[in-house]
Amino acid sequence: MTEEKKETTETGKPKVAFHDITGCQGCVLSVIFNEDELLDIINAVDIKEFRFIMGEKYDGPLDICFIEGAVVNKEDEEMVKKLRERSKVVVALGACATHGNIPSLKNWADPKNLERLQYQKKHEQMIDVPNPMPITKFIKVEYSLPGCPPDRDEIKKFVKEILLGKQFYSYPDPVCRECRLFENGCLLDEGKVCLGPITRGGCRAVCCHNGFECYGCRGITDDAQFEEYFKLMEEKGIDATTVKKHMETFAGVEINEALEKIQEGKWAKLH
Amino acid sequence: MSQQYVLKKENFNNFVEKVMADYDFIAPVKAKKNILRSKSLYQKISNPEDIFLDDHSYHTVKGFFNDPREKLFDFDGNKIINPVIELRQRVFFGLRKCDLNGIWHQDMVFLDNKHQCDPFYKARRDVSVLIGLHCNNGFEHCFCNSLDLRSDFHDLMFFDKNNDFIIEVGSDKGRKIIEIASDFLEQGDNLLTEEDRKIKNMGHELKTTNIKKFYHHEDWKTKGADKCLACGACNMLCPNCHCFTIEDDVDFSLKKGTRIRKPAPCQLKHFTRVAGDHIFRQDKTARFKHRIYHQLQYFQDRHDVQFCTGCGRCIAGCPARIDWIEIINNME
Repeated sequence: MTEEKKETTETGKPKVAFHDITGCQGCVLSVIFNEDELLDIINAVDIKEFRFIMGEKYDGPLDICFIEGAVVNKEDEEMVKKLRERSKVVVALGACATHGNIPSLKNWADPKNLERLQYQKKHEQMIDVPNPMPITKFIKVEYSLPGCPPDRDEIKKFVKEILLGKQFYSYPDPVCRECRLFENGCLLDEGKVCLGPITRGGCRAVCCHNGFECYGCRGITDDAQFEEYFKLMEEKGIDATTVKKHMETFAGVEINEALEKIQEGKWAKLH
Repeated sequence: MSQQYVLKKENFNNFVEKVMADYDFIAPVKAKKNILRSKSLYQKISNPEDIFLDDHSYHTVKGFFNDPREKLFDFDGNKIINPVIELRQRVFFGLRKCDLNGIWHQDMVFLDNKHQCDPFYKARRDVSVLIGLHCNNGFEHCFCNSLDLRSDFHDLMFFDKNNDFIIEVGSDKGRKIIEIASDFLEQGDNLLTEEDRKIKNMGHELKTTNIKKFYHHEDWKTKGADKCLACGACNMLCPNCHCFTIEDDVDFSLKKGTRIRKPAPCQLKHFTRVAGDHIFRQDKTARFKHRIYHQLQYFQDRHDVQFCTGCGRCIAGCPARIDWIEIINNME
């Protein structure tokens, strides 16, 4: 962290850019959704590039670069690599950048279906792309702010902690912690495939709190109990394939990697 | 012999409304409005019809005494601004024996502590009147008969007897409520038999609370921790669990901010994380055992009181329904 602090004092404010590759732009939008404190953010950091709110282009060195979206083609890959070279700190913003999210669903879709769903022949060149992957697979990132979209308060907290020269810790505990704190019942008891117990919280359990099961958009905790989870689901009469489909929705890349390591990868092979 | 009063059940709503005029009335209700699929929980009510007494509440009352986001102080540079907690006098109705003992245990930790009294807890506790409700029958996961609990820790205690509530006074705070609602009450004497004070048909029984010798038993792992999802629900639903963590929240001036205290569940891996990123209880079995041993042994060693109140909420609320009572009962 000392490195960043030094840079901050030299220039007064850290140079920050918000970039997006393939994604829905919802994550950079959730930065702007901090309406009440947006001016504070703009005053606290020197925003060099942010195409949602300004037209200027910038290609100099950056202190902090937020990248949204998944890498789905060569251009994306080149872009993140270039941004990496220019930036001291790269922050993966949102579930596409941190976990692959919806674009990475292609990785475990049936190839036959993909053919059927492809664009017309004249666009064929565009379809020939590598499997969509989070940016973390191509470049080293210092921090991840997961979530679909990421929690806007967490973005603010991140900026403040960086400005203070502190080490930012993303919320390590499962969604259930906050869910119970809000005095909710348990969706697992309702027979729902709620990924709360294995998913990283910090989202104020917003889905479960409103009666919708957790789909794990913030990725898994470092203490995710997969074996126990599959066992519990089996007892409830929900088969592993259904559970796996839920898991793959948002954090499939990360979950499949974790599943490879347990039970000889028997769940990793399910598609 | 404490005084006893009779409240006819048909007058109950009048009683509640009378008390409500002077106090905030907090009682178990069935579901939070506009939140789907909620279980029963304690809430401030405005209509006596909302009170739900068919089951003991799924969630506990502890959040009213230790706020889940307790503001410890505001800071501005090096200046500390202490918060002022201003609360209306409030009545808690429908607290079961387990809830009352839970509050007593929290008192031990936050109030009667030799070294320091917690001002936030005290402020919330001072304005609270505790009205208990005796369970004639136990519930599915209860086992409080197996434990040595206090039955005199209350300001008022309601006993449900046929068409009446028999009310027993436990303190001056309770007597004040009696005075307020005296129109609906009749004084009586020796209205309760030994039988009335018992809790019958308890769903569960804990055979022994002396679990010291089982510490290295493998059932903790095979029957308990191996099913545990490490979600921390048991901690959050326990009327006793009171561990907390402290966080700072600064604004963009980076000088002003707030220090906040939040509950922290010991079943989560990061509960024991310390500086240098070391985690003491990595192992899930160690965490699982720690909770049970704290409930049945460690607290007793220190305060000579059994910590667990036998409400069974940790079993009812566990997604995997880990029944640690059965685990202990089957140990040899």
